[in-house]
Amino acid sequence: MQGSFNSPDTHKYSVILPTYNERKNLPVIVWLLAKTFTENQLAWEIIVVDDNSPDGTQEIAKQLAKLYGEDKIVLKPRAGKLGLGTAYIHGLNFVTGDFVIIMDADFSHHPKFIPQFIRLQKAHNLDIVTGTRYRATSKPSSPDAQPGGVHGWDFTRKLVSRGANFLADTVLNPGVSDLTGSFRLYRLPVLRHIITETVSKGYVFQMEMMVRARALGYTVGEVPITFVDRIYGDSKLGSNEIVSYAKGIWVLFTTV
Amino acid sequence: MARAHRVALLGTVVVISYVLTFFKILSVPLLDAKVADQIIPVLPWWLLVSFGSYCLWSIGMGLLTLRECPEAYNELLGEITEAKNDLRMKGVTVD
Ligand SMILES: Nc1nc2c(ncn2[C@@H]2O[C@H](COP(=O)(O)OP(=O)(O)OP(=O)(O)O)[C@@H](O)[C@H]2O)c(=O)[nH]1
Ligand SMILES: [Mg+2]
Repeated sequence: MQGSFNSPDTHKYSVILPTYNERKNLPVIVWLLAKTFTENQLAWEIIVVDDNSPDGTQEIAKQLAKLYGEDKIVLKPRAGKLGLGTAYIHGLNFVTGDFVIIMDADFSHHPKFIPQFIRLQKAHNLDIVTGTRYRATSKPSSPDAQPGGVHGWDFTRKLVSRGANFLADTVLNPGVSDLTGSFRLYRLPVLRHIITETVSKGYVFQMEMMVRARALGYTVGEVPITFVDRIYGDSKLGSNEIVSYAKGIWVLFTTV
Repeated sequence: MARAHRVALLGTVVVISYVLTFFKILSVPLLDAKVADQIIPVLPWWLLVSFGSYCLWSIGMGLLTLRECPEAYNELLGEITEAKNDLRMKGVTVD
């Protein structure tokens, strides 16, 4: 489909990057994104939604805006830590592109996969393309996909992740192999639509978005990605998350 | 209708037909009555065990096929160094 932007592919890609204490990661992820977009001749912007991180992430973001341009690095901070789900909604208010990429700022999601997402989207005119750690091929199939995988996960983390996806898949059957991941490309109106219907928080949020997408009849493609667990900063997956995840599945089961 | 309602509806139909066959109110087509008498009482357990095996098999296979990608990690380490050097040169604070 033709876009309306004055760029080689007529589209513009807006990345929403929520950050909380990502001072070390932010400059590198922005550098990698800028490199990927420039090399692939894509029009882009990055919307940084920082929740007033105590480590001074915003100060770094300002330096990056100076370097890359304030039209490219758009800083839209919030006063305090208000959570990931609302960070996307906040960021969405400032998007000027026609496609939105949602990803983490901790390098678990490598920008090198974005051109593959875009190619798959174009080839099949998809509404959503999601990264998957659990597939070796893309869906619908495409020749440039390399097998996905993870690095830096111990057995427990693998088991929890596999169990969580199996549970959601069995109960809700959303037809997507990686429900807890959050590296995705959306058509802007599609993301706006889905996000207004989504009610949950935390890990359930990502899963609910896929369940809703399917229920609303949107088309979803999958590209295998490699996932390297965060190198800098702390991880916060605990038993609380697991319990609220199971509850979230139940709520979706009885409502969607 | 939410997914739960559809599943509950289907479940109710299945349970009712099972109870009716169990008490011989419905008969099993295409099956000898003697054979049916032996199968019907154990059918729920068989289903339970099958489902349990299916769960274990799915999660087990999921774990086995989850690929490790050390090459992505090594590539990333290189890129981080490159990015940091470049950014430092351009005046961005990287620590
Ligand atoms: N703005 C904002 N960003 C957040 C918040 N919580 C997390 N983030 C960011 O969201 C992204 C994902 O968070 P992570 O902490 O990596 O969560 P995760 O990937 O589930 O867990 P780990 O990587 O194992 O720590 C990162 O870029 C975080 O900086 C929040 O409350 N507000
Ligand atoms: Mg992460």
